[in-house]
Amino acid sequence: MLQVLAIGLISAGIYALFAVGVVLVYRGTKVLTFAGGEVGTAALYVTAFLVTTHGMPWFVGALVAVVLAAGLGAVFELGLVRWSRDADPVVTSILTVALSATIFATEINLYGNNPTTLKTPVAVGSGIDVDGVIVSPIQIAAIVVAGLLGFGLQAFLRRTDFGLAILAAADDSTATRLVGVRVSRIRVVLWASSFALAAIAALLVEPTIGVITPGYASTLYLGGLAAAVIGGLDSLPGAVVGATVLGLAQSFADRYLKDLGLSGLDYVVTLALLLVVLLVRSYAPELRKRLTSPVEVTA
Amino acid sequence: MSMLELHDVTAGFGAVTVLHGVTMVVQQGEIAGVFGLNGAGKSVTLKTVAGIVPARSGQIVFDGVDITRLDAETRVEMGMGHVPQGRQVFANLTVEENLRLGAYTLRRKQRSRYAAALDGVYDRFPVLRERRAQRAGTMSGGQQASLSVARALINEPRLVLVDEPSAGLSPKLQGDLRDVLQVVKDSGVTMVLVEQNVAFGLSLVDTAHLLQTGTVVHSSPVADLDEETLATHLGIGRVLAGATGSALTTRKASR
Repeated sequence: MLQVLAIGLISAGIYALFAVGVVLVYRGTKVLTFAGGEVGTAALYVTAFLVTTHGMPWFVGALVAVVLAAGLGAVFELGLVRWSRDADPVVTSILTVALSATIFATEINLYGNNPTTLKTPVAVGSGIDVDGVIVSPIQIAAIVVAGLLGFGLQAFLRRTDFGLAILAAADDSTATRLVGVRVSRIRVVLWASSFALAAIAALLVEPTIGVITPGYASTLYLGGLAAAVIGGLDSLPGAVVGATVLGLAQSFADRYLKDLGLSGLDYVVTLALLLVVLLVRSYAPELRKRLTSPVEVTA
Repeated sequence: MSMLELHDVTAGFGAVTVLHGVTMVVQQGEIAGVFGLNGAGKSVTLKTVAGIVPARSGQIVFDGVDITRLDAETRVEMGMGHVPQGRQVFANLTVEENLRLGAYTLRRKQRSRYAAALDGVYDRFPVLRERRAQRAGTMSGGQQASLSVARALINEPRLVLVDEPSAGLSPKLQGDLRDVLQVVKDSGVTMVLVEQNVAFGLSLVDTAHLLQTGTVVHSSPVADLDEETLATHLGIGRVLAGATGSALTTRKASR
């Protein structure tokens, strides 16, 4: 049981890191971004290039990769998103798919399908033994960072002027400009932060596996997207809760369905959970109305 | 002394030109009303002054400074405040968060003055103090109108642009709003008021600028405005004997 919980929480930490980036951009721009996975993978290749090829310390390589990811987010906003700001947010979402495909193609071009190795920042095998599962310091860091980001960013949005401006710009960008907020700058910061978070998430996940291939983080990013939707898409703590529910559901399903001869059902569990959440969310208002409205008694 | 001057300003959207050389002067401390039929260019005039719609030609001067090419945010920093059309409070934020955002540039320049500015606004609009923690979107239309005006005032502007504030309000709430705007006027802040409801607008403004198809066809103090001019330029001859005519008579009598 403890083992299943530990594996579930490790997955939850990873999903939550991606989900927080998804929600941050969605809250500020109403755009659902699909590029985070490949941005994360690209950050891993940059880190591997600096650490494995050029012998830099892991933390220096990782820092450079995160800064470059943030820069890519800023350039993406300035070069593409800004020019489609009057279009439907779906158009910008499709742009993120195009960016993801471009990064993926570049990775294939440069590295092919061969796995690339990246040294881990901590010794392999070190960590806490939870009922036979070794939870590494990096995995603990992923869970802690995800929780801090989810709840810390929520406080940042409500308690700082810049955070309030992000929330206001999502509601009405013209009215926000008319109180003196430079909405265009906010959007650059949002995209840069989201891509930086994707890079951080990938860097915290990678040591668990140890090798990188093109598209490496995209599968995990899909989990982050699902967690964000489960959490309501516009709530940062909701994203963390959604990630926890998804991580635990996958872990329990994997453990107990395996006994029934059904293994590798991660995606099925994710989709089933999404379906249930979306159905409940769609029908909840109608159901609540029916349950609370007075019953008509006919003679 | 003039607070705002528009000289031969043209503006529009894409291939459509809406303003065809608007010229008007707003004196310091007065309320200037901009009236016209639907599509005359009233709101576009205000948006062009705000910097939301760029001027294609002409010149806009704010307190002696040419602001024609400056962006909307810089104009706010220079002392321009806005009460946008439809009130446009930030529905998901609380009353106090709305006010904090209204003071965005004040807090960046002189954070220490914010507490006093907030107190000043709460004294002027006590209902907002009572509802400081309430989400703005859950308040009544009249309370939202008060919040929209308060949000503009908290930044201590020298000029406030008010776009169709009475739209969608009941006659009772329009009366309350008139009182709110009167308080602002008495504090000496210059205002430009765009109104579709001429009767409501005439009950407040000092000067009237009448717009027809993107051009100012008449500018004068309300005292010099006659019913015939209104009927000619606004096409409201048939109803002039009603509310609009009485508002004009009341304003003239009060001067």
